[in-house]
Amino acid sequence: MAEPVERRILRRTSPSDEEIVINFGPQHPSTHGVIDFVTQTNGEVIRRSIPDIGYLHRGLEKIGETVSYPGYMPFTDRIDYLAAMLANEGYAMAVERLLKVEVPPRAKYLRAIAGELCRISNHWVAVGTMASDIGASTPLTHALREREAINDLLEELCGARLTFNYARIGGVSFDAPEGWREKILRYLDHLDSYIQEWDRLISLNQIYVKRLAKVAVISREKAIAYGLCGPNLRGSGISWDTRRDLAYGAYPEFKFDVPVGQGKMGATGDCWDRYAVRVLEMLESSKIVRQALDKLPEGEIMAKVARRVRPEPGEAMARVESARGAMCYYVVSDGSEKAYRVRVRTGSFMAMGIIEEMSQGLMIADLIALIASLDVVAPEIDR
Amino acid sequence: MPETVRDYIGAITDVVQTFWQGLSVTLSYMLRRPITIQYPDRTEKRVADMLPARYRGFLEVDLAVCTGCLACARACPIDVIKIAVDKDPGNPKQRVITQFDIDESKCMFCGLCVEPCPTGAIAHTREFESTVRAVENLVFRWVPDAAKPVPFYRPVKGQDAPRAPAGSLVRAYLASQVWAAPVPDWAAPAAGRDKG
Repeated sequence: MAEPVERRILRRTSPSDEEIVINFGPQHPSTHGVIDFVTQTNGEVIRRSIPDIGYLHRGLEKIGETVSYPGYMPFTDRIDYLAAMLANEGYAMAVERLLKVEVPPRAKYLRAIAGELCRISNHWVAVGTMASDIGASTPLTHALREREAINDLLEELCGARLTFNYARIGGVSFDAPEGWREKILRYLDHLDSYIQEWDRLISLNQIYVKRLAKVAVISREKAIAYGLCGPNLRGSGISWDTRRDLAYGAYPEFKFDVPVGQGKMGATGDCWDRYAVRVLEMLESSKIVRQALDKLPEGEIMAKVARRVRPEPGEAMARVESARGAMCYYVVSDGSEKAYRVRVRTGSFMAMGIIEEMSQGLMIADLIALIASLDVVAPEIDR
Repeated sequence: MPETVRDYIGAITDVVQTFWQGLSVTLSYMLRRPITIQYPDRTEKRVADMLPARYRGFLEVDLAVCTGCLACARACPIDVIKIAVDKDPGNPKQRVITQFDIDESKCMFCGLCVEPCPTGAIAHTREFESTVRAVENLVFRWVPDAAKPVPFYRPVKGQDAPRAPAGSLVRAYLASQVWAAPVPDWAAPAAGRDKG
């Protein structure tokens, strides 16, 4: 048995009489899931905060060794339930590389459309809950309403609102339904104009900005050293996006910008930058979906894959840009119907590592801003 | 921290101004139509009928077109589907299905069982309301009586299987069940469970 974090922190720091160790979590509404932040504080000032993770560990990597290759697909939904489309795609890509299957172009485009819609819906939750954590409760309801509209679109495509299970090894499960294109375009038109209303509602609100600007500034060097990825890395001003720099699927054919934090409200890499990157990314995703809908090729949506998937012994890795950064799947096959090993590398887990250092000297309220701005999802940390 | 009096006043004006900007958005929603609907009884149609056709709700099985190939049971990653097949005692050439149970309480509605079905016998429906008195009642037994097994369906070449309209069977099944039904006899007695 590992020593509990509380005891470890007490032993290591021997808090003085003024300091106390509190468990911030695991059932706290602003920890974004079941995570415990063991926090050593002196009054309102945090000396250090150590995330104690594992409450949502379900052994999803081990499950990958006990079910068949196609049967693991619904479990990838549960790794990151706010961006399940992207998690599906990553696993499908890894197994396709094992099988050396080429995905039909139409399936690649459908994956890109569904994935980008899913990214928009995830970012709505991220920015909405961030506002709610800071203390503004109205924007969350607006963000969830926007997300519902995307959920409706994805429900029409694949029949589920949260755990989509849409990608298949070698393609996707459903073709675009009748009239889907028009509905998406109508929503995207609404989104592009709604962002302005959103900015008026919360993004540029001075109270909100002052709570986030210059708080928990993550420098470029630190972001790279701690292995941050996705919007958290881009918030620190580093222009790196798996979709552009290690393009996969249909992404080489789209033109889009990669928004990075520019320190508009104070310092590059502060909480507001990470927030702003997410808002801007929604508009970029909207661009990608429009291009994909225009170029959507005709044809098959599934490559020829045997029903019993039995790859040659070997290993494969696939990396996708999930909503929380680069998500890697590493699959090892021993030639049987079940994987020998499935390994998942997720963005939320990497973001947990930086909290201990960034929390030093923060106020308790600013720790909440830091956690919210990293947009972590507990099941993705623990898997 | 503001350094001059002008910065200090400027910060206050900024806050008041942006605060009213945000509040004006909120207030404008007083004049907009609400998007929420009141579930379950204030909708024009049943909610299940308002869902898209591909919605993945309860599984339904049309045994009249089931070939007994067990493809669905094999595709299920969590063993929700339990099928037993046997030979017809009266006619040894005819094989029959004696049990076809789907545990809807365990099902994760992933849709993997529907895809390999050669005749479309197993399919998702738009029904989703699963309130029952005992969780065992969510095990849908598509062969209600093992003494009356169902023969295998033999697909006819070049002809679609005559499947019943999607959703009709599960609606009939649900109508035959009562949500407050007691725990079925076949369920193993569990310690401390309300037998009502």
